[in-house]
Amino acid sequence: MEIQKFNYDNKIVKLFILATIIWGVVAILVGLLAALQLSFPFFNFGLEFTTFGRIRPIHTNAVIFAFVGNAIYAGVYYSMQKLLKTRMFNDVLSKINFWGWQFIILCAALTFFAGITTGKEYAELEWPIDIMITVVWVVFGWNMIGTIIIRREKHIYAAIWWYLASFLGVAMLHVVNSFELPVSLFKSYPIYAGAQDAVVQWWYGHNAVAFFLTTPFLGLMYYYLPKAAGRPIYSYKLSIVHFWALIFIYMWAGPHHLLYQALPDWAQALGVTFSIMLIAPSWGGMINGLLTLRGAWDKVRDSAALKFMVVAVTAYGMSTFEGPMMSLKNVNAISHFTDWTIAHVHIGGMGWNGGLVFGMLYWLVPKLFRTKLFSEKIANTHFWIATLGMLIYAIPLYWAAITQWLMWREYTPEGFLAYPNFLETVTQIVPLYTFRIIGGTLYLVGFLLLVWNLVKTMAAGSMEANEAAEAYPLENKESRSSARETIHRWLERKPVRFAIVAFVLLAIGGAVEIIPMIFVKSNVPTIESVKPYTPLELEGRDIYISEGCYTCHSQMVRPFRWETDRYGEYSKIGEFVYDHPFQWGSRRTGPDLARTGVITGNMYKTASWHYNHFMDPQRMNEQSIMPKYDWFAIKDIDLDMIPAKIRAMQTLGVPYEEGFDERAIDDLKAQAQIIADDLKQSGIEIEPTKQMIAMIAYLHKLGRDITPVVETKPEPVKTTSVNITEEMIPAGKASFQKNCIICHGPDGKGNVIGPDLTDNEWIIEKSPEGVYENISNGKIEKGMTPFKGVLSEEEITQLTAFVLLELNKN
Amino acid sequence: MKIVSDVLENIAGIQTYYIVGMLIFLFLFIVIVVRTYSTPNSEMSNRKNAIFDEKELLDIKNDK
Repeated sequence: MEIQKFNYDNKIVKLFILATIIWGVVAILVGLLAALQLSFPFFNFGLEFTTFGRIRPIHTNAVIFAFVGNAIYAGVYYSMQKLLKTRMFNDVLSKINFWGWQFIILCAALTFFAGITTGKEYAELEWPIDIMITVVWVVFGWNMIGTIIIRREKHIYAAIWWYLASFLGVAMLHVVNSFELPVSLFKSYPIYAGAQDAVVQWWYGHNAVAFFLTTPFLGLMYYYLPKAAGRPIYSYKLSIVHFWALIFIYMWAGPHHLLYQALPDWAQALGVTFSIMLIAPSWGGMINGLLTLRGAWDKVRDSAALKFMVVAVTAYGMSTFEGPMMSLKNVNAISHFTDWTIAHVHIGGMGWNGGLVFGMLYWLVPKLFRTKLFSEKIANTHFWIATLGMLIYAIPLYWAAITQWLMWREYTPEGFLAYPNFLETVTQIVPLYTFRIIGGTLYLVGFLLLVWNLVKTMAAGSMEANEAAEAYPLENKESRSSARETIHRWLERKPVRFAIVAFVLLAIGGAVEIIPMIFVKSNVPTIESVKPYTPLELEGRDIYISEGCYTCHSQMVRPFRWETDRYGEYSKIGEFVYDHPFQWGSRRTGPDLARTGVITGNMYKTASWHYNHFMDPQRMNEQSIMPKYDWFAIKDIDLDMIPAKIRAMQTLGVPYEEGFDERAIDDLKAQAQIIADDLKQSGIEIEPTKQMIAMIAYLHKLGRDITPVVETKPEPVKTTSVNITEEMIPAGKASFQKNCIICHGPDGKGNVIGPDLTDNEWIIEKSPEGVYENISNGKIEKGMTPFKGVLSEEEITQLTAFVLLELNKN
Repeated sequence: MKIVSDVLENIAGIQTYYIVGMLIFLFLFIVIVVRTYSTPNSEMSNRKNAIFDEKELLDIKNDK
């Protein structure tokens, strides 16, 4: 057999490496900005383009798709050619893959800055970019499968199974989750609604982690770790077993993101069960990686590349143990909506993905440029700085999570929430967020050291764009002999069949969860009183999505006493049937908003309160970390789009009357005028067509439809005598600071929301009985919340004493 | 798509199907494990060493 000569394409690998480095720095810088915003609201810069709600998706997408995405391509393009002893299938496809992906990243960044988003985490990109992603991903897969077919190696090494499964998994997830109905070039609605949308989205969200951040990295581990260590992988048998088990089980675990939420029990049970099962194959990979280093640990001491790989595999092991533990319902009650999840994903992102990318680059760049690494010492310094940065980042967030959770569920001996003001629970953890900034800065400094080290290495060496190589052609393919080889061995050299089997296994988990949710009506029981959004509320909802409010606020009250006492009635599946997309959120940096429309509830705020809060949250409470949204009072609603939005909703099955699209603008204007008139009564002049009005309308819709209509008003508190004493003042002052300063200011002199309590222009009787009754019953029409269910009689008496004996002592 | 909905709603005991599915998975998993671990080590060794060129293999041998 004659030996064949060919060239490896190193140029495409170099391009992807450069993109990895550039986007990596950008992604971490944006992450640092987001961290700063959570500690110091000043860093929102008062601009609509730079609020946390818009910056956060840029950070997550830049890390996942720009930094990690380019690193995957770099690693795959280099290792595939070497493993299969052939050049990539087609150079044009390689170039389309590279330039297409960079174009998508640019489009993503620009659209997120502009507030163009679908509002679904990690799938925020609008439909034209979704289509571009599909095209580029297919090009990548086409190039990959083509390369496998023209290979000169008979069998396909383990790393390539993972690459293939990643391609198939991501393709399936992206297409199914991106079914949406376009309304315009930059606006679409997902075809799924509420609980159905949630199941599909978290099937996607969880498995995006699996098939973009895990399986391709396992492939990279199977190639680069043995290469860097100069040792073959510990167990090839283990790699076969954990590959098939992992790709099958992962797809089932999505619903663990929706525990205790508005989802059928069977779906939650499936999510928990398969999440626990995931430990086994995940740890199979980790053990295989770590044991590969047996007998080579002396090399780890000297090699920064190996050090990073060891940290990567260890972080993978930690994350894949922690993840299933977080899927246990009692643990999930703590971890969900707190910073635990943020810490968890950063251990995975910084440790597993970052670590493996750094290790791969420190090994690959010198190889590619045929020289030594410029400085092993700087690389080792990078390793220690990055590791320290990770710890300083994650540990305070675990602390913050437990602290906030404990505060949410703390009760007084009298049976009332100890911290009824949500802001208190945020203020308590903001100092811990400062450590996150330090951790992130250290990680960035380490990354910059890597950039310098690699640039110097590239400058010192020279890369051969077309590296000459030779190999024997692939011998004739023979059919399987069951006596000589296992099914896996046979599949391994038949890429198309291998891909089909992997695809079927991947599809089962999603199909079992998604098909019943969509087609079995009993899984989504409707509630008759729940009505579609009015055009104004729908417009407000679209602004809510556009601003990324879901990055801080949930709309999901879980069935815990400490949640229902704080927010109101727990959430039900039927409430969300018109929500395209669902907006349940995954983190509460701000309070849950699912019940802001319940007039008799704790979460209700008047139109004037919302107006003033959007205009300047810090003016109402200087400890608030919410950005300003004062442009809501300036920017107009896009009235021209309203009929098209209503028609789109009708197409998706929302029961608006026939022809309602033609009347929708009039309907919107009429409702907007009522809100504008209400604001006018509070001295606020605003045109009814401003975005502010739509936002207020939307917030007043949330939870309103499921609130039973109260025919008779609850009996107001009446009292004939209230005894107040000087001794009550300290306790009353503490209670005032906790419950009253948002509206009445720290010195009781009032602010834009609440009146001055120290003057003599009172609208109620200025007596102990009058104050006691007013605090107990509230004045809903003026925005004063009733405190009779929130504070005990003793606490209300103490507050009365503070107001009359301290604030009015003169 | 109503036909899919009707079919799914009218299958008696559909809620037990996923348990059956898991049992099938368990069976196949055991088969894969047994078959994989009964493969001779020498064959596996050839496959996992395939990523190294001759010089690298020599280095590994010398290391040992």
